[in-house]
Amino acid sequence: MDVIYLDNNATTRVAPEVLEAIRPYLEEEYFNPSSMYDAARGPAQAVADARQTIAKLLGNGRPDEILFTSCATESNNTAVYGTIAANKERRHVVTTGVEHPAIYEVAEDLVRRGLEVDFIPVDSDGRLDKAEFVRALRPDTLLVSVMHANNETGVIYPVEELSRITKETDPEIVFHTDATQTAGKLPIDLKGDFRYVDLLSLSGHKLHAPKGVGALFVRRGTRCRPFLLGGHQEDGRRAGTENVAFIVGLARALELAMERHDEDEPRIQGMRDRLERELEARIPYLEVNGKNAPRLSNTLNLAVHFIEGEGILYQLSAHGICASSGSACTSGSLEPSHVLRAMKIPFTAIHGSVRFSLSRYTTDAEIDRVIEVFPGIVDNLRRLSPYWDAAKNEPRPEALEMLTRTEMPV
Amino acid sequence: MTWNYSKKTTDLFMAAVSGQPGTHLGEIEDPDGFGEHGSIACGDALRFTFRVDRDPDDPKQDRITEARYLTFGCTSAIAASEALCAIIEEGDYTPIEALDITNQDIVKYLDGLPQAKIHCSVMGAEALEAAVFNWAQKRGVDLAELGIDISSAEQEEGRLVCTCFGLTEPYIKRKIEELGLTSIADITGAIKAGGACMSCHHTPGGLQDLLDEVNGPRPTTMKELPVLPMARAPKAQPPTEMSPFKFAKKVEEVLDTFVRPQLAKDAGDIEIVDIKDTKVYCSLRGACSNCVGSQSTLKMLVEQALKDRVDQRIQVIEV
Repeated sequence: MDVIYLDNNATTRVAPEVLEAIRPYLEEEYFNPSSMYDAARGPAQAVADARQTIAKLLGNGRPDEILFTSCATESNNTAVYGTIAANKERRHVVTTGVEHPAIYEVAEDLVRRGLEVDFIPVDSDGRLDKAEFVRALRPDTLLVSVMHANNETGVIYPVEELSRITKETDPEIVFHTDATQTAGKLPIDLKGDFRYVDLLSLSGHKLHAPKGVGALFVRRGTRCRPFLLGGHQEDGRRAGTENVAFIVGLARALELAMERHDEDEPRIQGMRDRLERELEARIPYLEVNGKNAPRLSNTLNLAVHFIEGEGILYQLSAHGICASSGSACTSGSLEPSHVLRAMKIPFTAIHGSVRFSLSRYTTDAEIDRVIEVFPGIVDNLRRLSPYWDAAKNEPRPEALEMLTRTEMPV
Repeated sequence: MTWNYSKKTTDLFMAAVSGQPGTHLGEIEDPDGFGEHGSIACGDALRFTFRVDRDPDDPKQDRITEARYLTFGCTSAIAASEALCAIIEEGDYTPIEALDITNQDIVKYLDGLPQAKIHCSVMGAEALEAAVFNWAQKRGVDLAELGIDISSAEQEEGRLVCTCFGLTEPYIKRKIEELGLTSIADITGAIKAGGACMSCHHTPGGLQDLLDEVNGPRPTTMKELPVLPMARAPKAQPPTEMSPFKFAKKVEEVLDTFVRPQLAKDAGDIEIVDIKDTKVYCSLRGACSNCVGSQSTLKMLVEQALKDRVDQRIQVIEV
């Protein structure tokens, strides 16, 4: 059975062009770029070129502001812990309630370490409360971290504006954004709209580069201590032998994404919108999470009332369709998605979320297939849900009453 | 996390969702025993009903003949519900005998469950217990007299720390305090937490962190790392001569008199979001909010008006 891969916010397939760019550095050009002999020149130059390419594509043009890391999680950890370690006088951090765990759990750890953290709330569409954001900024605020777009819902945050407000309030505050889901998808201009951003994380495997490579932009002059020690690489700011092949892959993937953007973007959005429209029309008690917010054009996050997400994924998987869910049973932590909870998704649907995320390799035929099988999968589970009246094919009255309540019943 | 379910588990799940005959999906009308466990908010909910063949002389000799479930939950929750009903119907139990069915029996019937899904089998056993208590009430059987404990463990709501046994942060912290627990081994011994997969021992917010929070950190020989002189203290901004209240009032007054009338010409308005020292955070409303020139409008019009009439240091920040 062919796999229909609609989980591109989790990871993506490596683009053939990227694989081709990588191959020489896994085969003949395997030398350590730090070595002195002539043979190591090739790999060293490849890393330098990749750095230059990425700096150019992000608009800053300064290669020394790009650090290569092993993943966006490392970039995020470096940004937060590095900033905390370099600035002992300030002890207040502002972030949002919907960050990826690589920021959210780090921020929770900061609280345990005695720092104060404000998690800015969002509305039911996942939009940030800007007034709350402004009120949270304090004279002792050290760091603000706001993601560029959310991995679960695709909701886009106004990083340009928030970073400006932050710097106009106090230029000493460090502004970080996690651009894992947006690099290559949305414009990022570190000399333009993003000129107030000090730190920016990105990841390779979300944009058709391999897993195991990421980058952290560190604007010159930003006080940030290294997270990994033990080597002179990256000017001592990130120790560890450079992952030459994957660094080359990251640069090529970003380049490719930018080149193809104008062609890919409308096609992906067209397919996503069609999937959204058709499923909304065919399935009652189904909502689109983040519907009224600006969203990434490849992401569709659905709230399906009265059923649980894992059972949906399992049946999708039986049809070869790969998707993901914010339900407790799929999280590994047995807690439903903190993002959907922050959005106050009714608890009748918080366990029934399903995320489809498309890529440039998604086809119309694949979308057709999902539209064909998804309603039946929902029916199957509703039939055995204690909240659904199978005979009448509608929610039981007591379940309907719960529909608008977001508070957990006591 | 991919699915590590046994064939038995996935077979039962697929049979149930595809509505194959022989499954125990449904709800018995006017049942002899009715039990529920979990809720839609928890992500797992099971409604379990059974019918008995009533013994005319001694209700204790009633035999369960039919069991049905409705389940909101994941693949394994649905399979565990199927397993529970099958075990009961195959066993020809009295309700009191059925109380001996444990979550382990359900796990065994399913040929094992992944560690993270053990709680699904617990849900089955709990719903069964509730249904038997319900039956006892209806049939006038005094379970306490038979030496059966009908009080269930009480737990505070909160963040789940030990997922294997479903124990929350407030509950574990209370137990650490009440029982004077000082090590992870103590905790496991007393309330089972951390006794199965052990992954919660040293994770952030895990058992060791909870111990430290309640008992204070353990003595350590490590010294604090030296603080580098590069760190800069927050800059204190000199306050205005006015009190914050008077300052805010004055700002509003100037906006009312000099700014709002001008904005109103274009059907716009301005709202103060916050004031920090001499920084005034404003938001444009109405026709102004979509205007590309809004930034410069604010800077020029509002900031100048406020500088001239309230305080030269005022800085306007658009939100």
